[in-house]
Amino acid sequence: MDIFADLMMGLSVAISPINILYLLIGAMVGMVVGVIPGFGPSAGLAILLPVTFGMDPIGAIMMLAAIYYGAMYGGTITSILLNTPGESATVASTFDGFPLAKAGRAGPALVMQAVASFVGGTVGVILITVLAPMFSQVSRSFGPPEYFLLAMMGMLTLIVMIGTNWRLGVISALIGFALGTVGVDLETGQGRYTFGSAELIGGIYFIPIAIGLFGLGELFYAFYSGLHRTGTGGIVQYDKEERFWPTAQDWISTRMTMVRGSILGFVVGVIPGAGATIASLMAYSTERSLSKTPEKFGTGEMAGLVAPETANNAASSGAMIPLLTLGIPGSASTAVLLAAFLLWGLRPGPLFMEQNPELAWGLIASMYLGNMALLAISIFAIPVFVQIIKVPYRVLGPCVVVICALGTFSVHASFVEMFLMFGAGIVGFFMRLYGYSPAALVLALVLGPLAEEALRQTLTISRGSFIIFVDRTPSLWIIVVTVVLVVFLPLLHRFGGKGTGGGEAEKAGS
Amino acid sequence: MRIAFLIALLAAAVFYSYIAFADLNFMTRTGRLGPGFFPRLIGVAAIIVTLWAILDELRRGRISSEDVEGSWLDVAVLIALAVGYAVLIRLFGGFIATFLFLAVALTILNRGQHIKNMAVAALVPAIVYLLFDRILNANMPPALFELL
Repeated sequence: MDIFADLMMGLSVAISPINILYLLIGAMVGMVVGVIPGFGPSAGLAILLPVTFGMDPIGAIMMLAAIYYGAMYGGTITSILLNTPGESATVASTFDGFPLAKAGRAGPALVMQAVASFVGGTVGVILITVLAPMFSQVSRSFGPPEYFLLAMMGMLTLIVMIGTNWRLGVISALIGFALGTVGVDLETGQGRYTFGSAELIGGIYFIPIAIGLFGLGELFYAFYSGLHRTGTGGIVQYDKEERFWPTAQDWISTRMTMVRGSILGFVVGVIPGAGATIASLMAYSTERSLSKTPEKFGTGEMAGLVAPETANNAASSGAMIPLLTLGIPGSASTAVLLAAFLLWGLRPGPLFMEQNPELAWGLIASMYLGNMALLAISIFAIPVFVQIIKVPYRVLGPCVVVICALGTFSVHASFVEMFLMFGAGIVGFFMRLYGYSPAALVLALVLGPLAEEALRQTLTISRGSFIIFVDRTPSLWIIVVTVVLVVFLPLLHRFGGKGTGGGEAEKAGS
Repeated sequence: MRIAFLIALLAAAVFYSYIAFADLNFMTRTGRLGPGFFPRLIGVAAIIVTLWAILDELRRGRISSEDVEGSWLDVAVLIALAVGYAVLIRLFGGFIATFLFLAVALTILNRGQHIKNMAVAALVPAIVYLLFDRILNANMPPALFELL
């Protein structure tokens, strides 16, 4: 009953007219971000974070969260109509989404993806509602050793999912950790890597790096790969009048797919570092192996579209659990969300839900409303998003540069941060080009200071002995879980990615 | 280019480690772990992994093997335009620099659409100004002469 009362209180916070407005804006923006190929939720969140500074914290967090899960809805529209995933978590949706559209079933495919996204997102939020307080309880027994290990778990999971180029993932993470050490050491007051610059005393700020890597870096890469030259001539037209709605057979054949996809997606989402891309590929593969007609997958099977769609939305909900209850972001997108929390002086962690019930439960309640709004927007505003797809990238590109630059400047009115953002954009382009992981860099930049502090505290408590990590039951469990994940996740992903474009794991974590 | 990027990273890792070992203490005077502890771990790990990645690349003999065949010219033009925009913002402030940048960038990238390009170049700074300066009360970059 406590959970129900808390949820009702959260609903009363979320349902105020101004918060509903922010939620709708966030949902729309999230869909737009998802629709634009080359831009994922991390880029959208990083670029738009400065825009929320003038807002009330609850409304701002609700809006940013809506951008995050809204991108999952939007990304599929281009997967179905253009065979180009709007973001990496909707890659698996192209496998059957585009063949469905080519077969003249674009309308039913668009409706079913919206419903599947809604089911996945809503099941995910229900599971958050039930499980988040339990996770908070458990995490109260955590101390510095556990926090250090959790940070390492997130990094390791993200890195092993990169696959054969894991060394490049480790290098990316180490760059992030190195950038995180810049500034005054809080324990001793000694400056590190500041080179006498007053601007660097406070450390390298997260926002310019994230905007540069995800905003400009992705844009430069899109230009490199010629996205600005390709028009939208290949867009599949859909019938707005006849054959728009799914058939009874579509609903019946996919009802269990939605259940399986939601649960699998949520579980994968909770694991730090795994993320929505992995969840969607695994759900697709699981559904294919359970199907009586696996040969139809890839030729326009509705279950092949529904499975990844439910999974990626449930995973984006699941990723909120470690963020809210441990303060550990599991992906680059949730790292940007964590940065947003920190900007408003809020520190997610074991006591967060107890100390900030209005915000925590307001956010959870808003996710129910957000998913409902996104369902309606996804179905009835499809023509609007089709028009957005038609805006040429060569026009969109310079406008993105403007938003990145002015958005970065608006945070601290700092030209240094703005130049840093441009530098990060160029580095981000080369990282993307050569197979490094900007997501691992950003995650390490956020987790680095936390990991360093936790490790130093741990070794102070243990007087320099690393035995403390296996002496304590919670930390021993985290080590066991990490080893299991590091060994089995790549195997599962290889199994899941076989013949399904598993190489997209490089983008995992975004 | 791939190897060059790795060598640049190796140089950065060596420099980072040099400072960690030369300037930052491993322990504090009170016997606790000092500010150099974590950077030394990171620096040494970065050198080892980067060397490993370089050896890997050399072994595979991939001197220049970008995974995606792309257009260097297009991306170079956009990067040059973006850097130019950064300089323009410093000189002329957010509003004028944005107009100039968009006018030039769209003329180069979206050829033949002069009216549309100018409309976008004029509308975007106006919208951004309204959003940032008027509605959100955020900072727009001032021009250099405004600061003097």
